[in-house]
Amino acid sequence: MSHPVTTNPLIIMLINMTVVFLVLIALGVVINLIHYIDPTKPKAVPEETAPSAPEPVAEPEPVTAAPVEDGISPEVVAVIAAAVASMGCAGTVKAIRPLERNNWKNSGRSAIQSWS
Amino acid sequence: MELLQAFVVSLQAVWADSGFSAFTMGNGIMILVGLVLLYMAIVKEFEPLLLGPIAFGCILANFPRTGFFTEPGLMQAIHYGIANEIFPPLIFLGIGAMTDFGPLLARPATLLLGAAAQIGVFVALVGAMMLGFTVQEAGAIGIIGGADGPTAIYLSIQMAPHLLGAIAVAAYSYMSLVPLIQPPVMKLLTTQREREVTMEQLRPVTKFERVCFPIVAAIIISLLLPPIASLLGCLMLGNLFRESGVMDRLSDTAQNSLCNIVTIFLATGTGMTMNADDFLQPATLLIIGLGLVAFIAGTAGGVLFGKIMCRVSGWKINPLIGSAGVSAVPMAARVSQVVGMKAKPGNYLLMHAMGPNVAGVIGTAVAAGTMLAMLK
Repeated sequence: MSHPVTTNPLIIMLINMTVVFLVLIALGVVINLIHYIDPTKPKAVPEETAPSAPEPVAEPEPVTAAPVEDGISPEVVAVIAAAVASMGCAGTVKAIRPLERNNWKNSGRSAIQSWS
Repeated sequence: MELLQAFVVSLQAVWADSGFSAFTMGNGIMILVGLVLLYMAIVKEFEPLLLGPIAFGCILANFPRTGFFTEPGLMQAIHYGIANEIFPPLIFLGIGAMTDFGPLLARPATLLLGAAAQIGVFVALVGAMMLGFTVQEAGAIGIIGGADGPTAIYLSIQMAPHLLGAIAVAAYSYMSLVPLIQPPVMKLLTTQREREVTMEQLRPVTKFERVCFPIVAAIIISLLLPPIASLLGCLMLGNLFRESGVMDRLSDTAQNSLCNIVTIFLATGTGMTMNADDFLQPATLLIIGLGLVAFIAGTAGGVLFGKIMCRVSGWKINPLIGSAGVSAVPMAARVSQVVGMKAKPGNYLLMHAMGPNVAGVIGTAVAAGTMLAMLK
C-alpha cells in the first residue's frame, strides 16, 4: 500500500466533496448535451400557429353500436370504451373481441404464479 | 481390554479433531450474533435477502477447523471472489439493469443532491480519524454513509479488509433502517411549507438519451477515476442492456439470475469474514456508531442542499427529495414519498426522488474512487 496523499481529515473531506460535485456537475452537463443534440426529441410547437378557433370535436358514435362478440354485455362495452377514452385515445370503438384463449398457456402461467 | 483401549483412543482422536475441542467463547458469541441477525432477517424482514446469507455465513465462519480459507473448495472460491473485487461489480451489473435513469435524465439538477448527501461519508471519516482509526480504515468506515452495500464492500476490501464484516453488517443494517432513521432528520430540517412543495411533472426522456447516457457516463467516469472503472463500467453496461431494447435476454439475466447468484456468494462470503478474532473488538461498536452518524449526516446534507435548491428554483423543488441522495435505492426514495404524502396528501414525490437516489449511487462510487486514488 502506497502512502496516502494527506492524512488531514478536513482536507480529505474538502477535496473529495469537490471532486464528487465536479464529476456529477460534469455528468449533468453531459446529460444536457445529449438532450441538446438528440435528433429524436419532439419538436417544440411554434407559438405563431396559435389556434384561431377550436375545431369542432366529432361526437363519438354511441359505443353500443360497436360490433361485439356474443357474451360481451353492453355494460362491459361501455366500461372498456370509458377506460380507452380515459387514457386519452380519441376515436370510436370499432370492435371488441376477446383475446384468443390458450389453455396450455394459461396452465403454464398459473404454474409459474404458484411457484412465486 | 485392548479393544476397549482402542475404542477410547479412537474416541479421543475424533474429539481432538472435532470443532468442539477448539471451540472458543468468541466462536459461541459470534454464532449468537449470527442467530440474532438471522432473527432480524427472517422475523423482522430487515433486508432478508442480504442479511440472511450474511448471518448464516457468520455462523459458518465460527466453526473451528473447517479449513474454509486454507483448503481449495467452494468457500475459498467465494472468498477469492470477494478478496479480488469480483462480486461487487457483478452486483452493479444487475443494479444497472434494474435502474431507470429516466428521472435523472429528465432533471439533471438533482445530481447535485446526490453529491451533497455524500457529506455523510466524510463526516464519518473525520469522526473515525478522531477516534483513532487510520486514514484507510476511516475511509472504509465512512463509505457506510453512502448507503451502498457493494461499494462499501469494494472499498473495504481494498483499504481495510480486516473491518469488512463490521462495515458490511453496519451498512446493510442501516440501509434496512432507513425508514426509521431518515424521517425525523427530514422533519427536523424542513418547514411545513417546504414539505408541501409540489413538483412539476418530469419531461419525457427519449430512447436516444437513455442509450447515450450509460455509454458516455462510463467513458467519462472511467477516464476520470480508473479505480472505480469496473464498478461504474458494470453499472452502465447493465443499464445499456436494459435501455438498448435489443439485449433483453442479457438484461433479464443480469437483473435476475446473475444478480441473485452473486448476491448469495457476496453476502455469504461477507458473513464469513465475521470470525470472532476480527469482529469481537471494541472497533466494531465504534464502526456501528459511526455508521449511524454517517447516515444521519448524509440525510441532513441532502435535505439542506434541497432547501437551497428549493429557494434558488423559486419553490419548485421539494427539499424532501434531497434525503434520497444517500443511495439506498429505492428505499430512500420511498421515504421521501411517504414523508411528502404525510405533509400533503396527493403530493407524489417518488419519481422526483428517484433522480437524486440514482445520483447517490454514482456519487458514492465517485467518492470511493476519489478515496482510493488519494488514500490507498
